[in-house]
Amino acid sequence: MDIRIENLTKTYGSLNAVDHMNLTVKDGELVGLLGPSGCGKSTTLFMLSGLTTPTQGKIYFGDKDVTSIAPEDREIGLVFQNYALYPHMTVEDNITFPLINRGIKKAPAREMALEIAKVVKIDQYMKRKPSELSGGQQQRVAIARALVKKPQVLLLDEPLSNLDAKLRVATREEIRRIQQEVKITTIFVTHDQEEAMSISDRIAVMKEGVLQQYEVPQTMYLNPANEFVANFLGTPEINNIEVDVNDGVISSGGMVLRTGAKLADGHYHAGIRPESFYIDDNGNSFKVDNLRMTGRDLLLFSKLGEKVVRILVHSYMQVAEGDSVKTSVREGHILVFDDQEKLIGRF
Amino acid sequence: MDKKSAKGYLYLLPSMIIMICFTIYPLIRAIVMSFLGDYSIINGSYKSIGFDNYKALFADPDFAMSLKNTTIYVVCVVPVSIMLSLIIAVLINSCKKTKALFQTIYFLPYVTSVIAIGIVWRWMFNSNYGLINFMLGLIGIEPIQWLNLPQYAMPALIIFAIWKSMAFNILIFLAGLQTIPEDLYRAARIDSTPKFRVFTKITVPQLAPMIVYSSVIGMIGAFKVYNEVFSLFQGKAGPANKAMTIVYYIYDKFYNSYKYGVAAAGSVVLFIIILIFTRVQLRVTGGNKK
Repeated sequence: MDIRIENLTKTYGSLNAVDHMNLTVKDGELVGLLGPSGCGKSTTLFMLSGLTTPTQGKIYFGDKDVTSIAPEDREIGLVFQNYALYPHMTVEDNITFPLINRGIKKAPAREMALEIAKVVKIDQYMKRKPSELSGGQQQRVAIARALVKKPQVLLLDEPLSNLDAKLRVATREEIRRIQQEVKITTIFVTHDQEEAMSISDRIAVMKEGVLQQYEVPQTMYLNPANEFVANFLGTPEINNIEVDVNDGVISSGGMVLRTGAKLADGHYHAGIRPESFYIDDNGNSFKVDNLRMTGRDLLLFSKLGEKVVRILVHSYMQVAEGDSVKTSVREGHILVFDDQEKLIGRF
Repeated sequence: MDKKSAKGYLYLLPSMIIMICFTIYPLIRAIVMSFLGDYSIINGSYKSIGFDNYKALFADPDFAMSLKNTTIYVVCVVPVSIMLSLIIAVLINSCKKTKALFQTIYFLPYVTSVIAIGIVWRWMFNSNYGLINFMLGLIGIEPIQWLNLPQYAMPALIIFAIWKSMAFNILIFLAGLQTIPEDLYRAARIDSTPKFRVFTKITVPQLAPMIVYSSVIGMIGAFKVYNEVFSLFQGKAGPANKAMTIVYYIYDKFYNSYKYGVAAAGSVVLFIIILIFTRVQLRVTGGNKK
């Protein structure tokens, strides 16, 4: 089911937790709400669930205005950050609970529970209590409980934050698989940009209650709407530098980074991702002050004028501290921002 | 014993001395006393050693009645009080604005002297001017001679005791309710759980440890009922001794009849009853300890 958010606003006192947000989610898509803590992403999710009432604005599920509809009548499944499984009930009782509440008899409810348990692969634990399951298994039970009533929309609040790093990667793939298998419109909240990029069809980045950009992950990464989005996405972080433009020549800290740029003369903020540098014998020479081996990559720390820059190279490169490397920046990978922090162009 | 634990025992010593003098020693004395026939508390003389006191105890119809009354009292007061307290605690908890106010109001009986409360309740039970008969009158029930007729002695005592014991239970349950994660209720809401099912399927199971605790403590307290009887019936055991309880019986044998041995035997019997009930109760509800 399509979801449409119009002018959605939530005010707590004088603070706009969510500020005139507009967003459309297409049927069957997986959308990540991404942002630092306190950006209003969870508030948005809870407004979608109906547990929080918006101050202003409308929410549509399909063509239906659900803004004033109670959560239990919205046909949503909600997975809480701490899973909120009923601790005294078995896995089976947890999953059948919403069905029995809706007046479904025990036997068919059990069948439906088993069916969804197989999808999330917890069918062998039906008689266990939540406390006897690992975090990842509890997560699956919570998803099964949310999906068993065949909701139109699945909402997940920070679904991976309570899992350890290794399990997180596996579980996010699981969420994607389950979402694809059930073909359900899904919105999830996360503060982890990698998590959001890896499984979302689209990402909505928020900052201080305001939607910054809503895009397909790859497009957003390469074409961030503003400096905030550019900074928030990507590890290692983007290099924030100051550049001067003179006659189409972009330079910083005495190095010429680009010539022939169609850009008015002046001083600008710019961003270059660490991986946008490539080894080039005709490039600028960077002295390596420090380096970090991360496995696949080697992260070099150098200076561009006064600023520290991070340069990512392949780990097979033989470099040591004090060496110099000659690099250039890939065409179209210098992101230049105006004084409002908006992206002007890529050079 | 090393130096460190010696120091620890030294700290324990004052409370140990007090406990040995006023709890352990009297306990042992009472047990010993229960086997001494015609024991004199003045000079410590006795005429026989054996089960005479127990024989006298079980032959006494007053003791049989006190045993019956106490059992009725426990069976009525403890479950009813817990059920009502649970409902009231949930109601108090559901309204955040008035919570502090009602919490205080319901806790007042706990910090007020039983004797003072007894005086107020005597007025409420008064057959001519009492609030209870006035209320019953509103729904067309004839005035009841609560405190004067033998058959109403136990009902009056039970009503009074339920009201009084609720204060403590409500406090325990309110504390327990704070520990139930809010998300469980939100999840229940998303799962379209009817209100009554939220209560029976989430609130009650989550409060299970508190309910077990309250019922054990409540039961032990109820078996030892005495203050309530004393204050409601002005130092007597109700009309025609119809509200005689075990502890009241022990008190009566000791202070009024000077039958120290029988009183001690009664104490031992009560001790054994409470011990058995508590063991059984903990075994039955043991599954909730997790």
